[in-house]
Amino acid sequence: MKIKKGFELREVCGEHIIVAYGRENIDFNKVISLNESATYLWKNIVDKEFSAEMMADLLQQEYDVDADTATRDAKALFDEWMKVGLVEG
Amino acid sequence: MKNAIKRLTRALLTPLRKRYQKRNGIVSNQYRHELPNDAWLGEVSQMLREGKPYAIYVKGYSMRPFIEHTRDRVFLERRDSYCVGDAVLAQIAPGHYVLHRIIEKHADHLTLQGDGNLDQVEYCREQDVSGVVTQYIRPRRIIPADDPKLVRRIRLWRRLRPIRRYLLFIYKALV
Repeated sequence: MKIKKGFELREVCGEHIIVAYGRENIDFNKVISLNESATYLWKNIVDKEFSAEMMADLLQQEYDVDADTATRDAKALFDEWMKVGLVEG
Repeated sequence: MKNAIKRLTRALLTPLRKRYQKRNGIVSNQYRHELPNDAWLGEVSQMLREGKPYAIYVKGYSMRPFIEHTRDRVFLERRDSYCVGDAVLAQIAPGHYVLHRIIEKHADHLTLQGDGNLDQVEYCREQDVSGVVTQYIRPRRIIPADDPKLVRRIRLWRRLRPIRRYLLFIYKALV
């Protein structure tokens, strides 16, 4: 899986938000706000192939969290990004 | 007296208003996350200058009747130059942005006015413009900015500026 072309992380007024630019994303009418851990994951998986397992590993590397919690949270975030339409592949 | 006239006009236009709202998908959505306008438009302006065209929701009533508050989005793209009639995102003062239409151009000096404004105008240089509206995105359709019918309507609206106050009064009663 990969982040779709045209989706970018930007910082506005202290908030990290995902915007979708370009004609191919003209129908995407959302602005997605990321918390600190989601921002960390985004910065580490953008422009790369990734999976929920990879996201869980990244969380465990950066945060003091057990494997089950990291896996559950990473899967939930991954599914949310799929549902919203940020991910392709 | 003014409120009574407004209420009466609204009541008389109710059947038309309901038809207009149904056709144009006017809804209110309480689940909106809003960023400070100027900060957000500043970021959008930066994206346009980076060559990244972007669609934004429009906030405010100054571009009525062509762009409706929170209902419509506009797709903005950067251009090398802009013309009279273009709806543009421009910085008119440090950190202050508007999405208004160019009504006059002399060399690189632009005069802007919102379609829904009566007298207020803004001035800026062409270099202060970040991008132009190339598509009007409404709930049920996307209208290119160079659509001949839309262009004719915009020209007619500019010519009807002397009676714009009354036309907007009727439009507000419909919406």
